[in-house]
Amino acid sequence: MRGTLSLAMAEVNRLRRNKRYLIFTVALPVMLYLIFGKEVATVYGVSFKVFYMVGMASFGAFAGAFNNNLIRISQERKDGWIRQLRLTPLPANAYVVAKIVGSMATTIPSIVIVLLLGRFYGGVTLPIWKWITIAVAIWLGTLIFAALAVALGYMLRPDSVQPIAMLVYFFFTIFGGLWFPLSGGLRKFGEITPTYRVIAISTSVVATGKVSMVNVAVVLIWLVGFVVFAVLAVRATAEAV
Amino acid sequence: MSHSGTGPDSVVSFENVSKHYGSLKAVDGLSVSLRPGETVALLGPNGAGKSTSLDMLLALRKPTSGRIRMFGSDPYHAVKSGRVGAMLQSGGLMPEVTVRELVTLVAGFHPRPIPPETTMKRAGIADIAEQRVDRLSGGQTQRVRFALAISGDCELIVLDEPTTAMDVETRQLFWANMKAEVAEGKTLLFATHYLEEADQAADRILVINRGRLLADGTPAEIKERAGAKRMSFRLNRVDEPFLLSLPGLVNLEIRNDLVHIQTTDSDDTLYALLGAGYRPRELEVGSLGLEQAFIAITAEDDRANTGTPASPVEERI
Ligand SMILES: Nc1ncnc2c1ncn2[C@@H]1O[C@H](COP(=O)(O)OP(=O)(O)OP(=O)(O)O)[C@@H](O)[C@H]1O
Ligand SMILES: [Mg+2]
Repeated sequence: MRGTLSLAMAEVNRLRRNKRYLIFTVALPVMLYLIFGKEVATVYGVSFKVFYMVGMASFGAFAGAFNNNLIRISQERKDGWIRQLRLTPLPANAYVVAKIVGSMATTIPSIVIVLLLGRFYGGVTLPIWKWITIAVAIWLGTLIFAALAVALGYMLRPDSVQPIAMLVYFFFTIFGGLWFPLSGGLRKFGEITPTYRVIAISTSVVATGKVSMVNVAVVLIWLVGFVVFAVLAVRATAEAV
Repeated sequence: MSHSGTGPDSVVSFENVSKHYGSLKAVDGLSVSLRPGETVALLGPNGAGKSTSLDMLLALRKPTSGRIRMFGSDPYHAVKSGRVGAMLQSGGLMPEVTVRELVTLVAGFHPRPIPPETTMKRAGIADIAEQRVDRLSGGQTQRVRFALAISGDCELIVLDEPTTAMDVETRQLFWANMKAEVAEGKTLLFATHYLEEADQAADRILVINRGRLLADGTPAEIKERAGAKRMSFRLNRVDEPFLLSLPGLVNLEIRNDLVHIQTTDSDDTLYALLGAGYRPRELEVGSLGLEQAFIAITAEDDRANTGTPASPVEERI
């Protein structure tokens, strides 16, 4: 356990030094919020500044948990770093656990920064429990993407991983309505995605003061599904690693 | 030779282990056991099954059949107990961290870590401690990988072609350090293509080819088995059937009037030649190196496997 934690710490340190990572997960969402955050409109029963705050916080956090993890896992598997770790006394699952713990830890600041921006730049005022609900919903969403990153990272080779990462990421963020709110048939379709539901948990808690159990259930189903997918993918490649 | 058999005190034992990839038998019925404190070299041509054997020992691959034991337990638990330090033939490192950070991190995984400063000194990387691991040369990377292998206090060290990509000086430093580790009583198993390395460092050599163990013994025994002496001389009249019947003869090459012989007993061979009335000119007798012994053993096995009749007249490349 101690070894796994120190590996997770090392992962966090690597991410902190990585400029690309910081640009995509922190700088870009902050910049977009500064540009569009003061738009006046009502979406999903809340003001645009609330919607966009949730959307941008999710976008940064999901990019960190998904694209970044996926590309690294695939590369590190090919390079043989995962094999190298298997020669140490670290437990077999330590690499995957450290990746997930590491990215869960590094997405906290990117979520918090955008929420703070919503509060002090956008002027969003909410009771503390609603802030916490929003943060936790987005954080749960990153766990879904971290699990998917592990699954695909073990299955795909580094040379094919980049375009697939972009495709999957844009699918979930566009149809989840992270960039712009969905309506009509698009919204009906978007409702199946966990990303839409993460946004919905946040906007409905602001609009109605209630956490919708349907939204939570959909998010949890995706989470369980991707965790199972990840476990299977890791097992299937145990020999080849 | 007297090294086979599973002793109760063996550090490592392979019991009739095979690994098949489809129809390819990468390892084919390997049985061998290592005693504590031995330094064992694993020799074999490309694709012989060295890495596959070591990977199975290190729980990276599962044998198709047979059983491997390490310290009396299965390989996975032996590796996780921290009693083994290992270095693979290839293997990446975690990028974006410094050498010192990486060595410190991996030492922390061990139940009995060795201070990173000591490890880095032993591996000859103290001077690059602050460099980032993704910006090292091939030989430097190799040394860092070696440092990770010895970052915990272990009883068995397993190295797959450790000195590939090292320059001459680094290689000497490497073996000097390795000998110090072995002197502490550690068991060492390493695969290599550098035969002089095996000759100097190992007290036991395993030769494998096509996944099978061909020879197992001290360097001296291996050389003897292949025909320890090499003789050459010129003859006015070369009579091949007679030369083939010479006692001790293992290998024969004829180029016009020049005869090369490999023999287990150069005295017997020479007396038989003289006794038959031959008067060889420009006679030279020398010892065979491990390299020639290795080539002779594997070439003999290849001939036996490809179905070519065992011709003693052999073309060398
Ligand atoms: N994952 C794999 N799938 C299929 N065949 C494999 C695999 N790994 C190794 N082989 C084959 O098994 C045989 C033994 O390979 P191995 O890597 O053990 O050889 P080696 O003795 O280490 O050779 P070298 O000196 O080149 O490192 C080779 O014929 C190789 O092509
Ligand atoms: Mg090999």
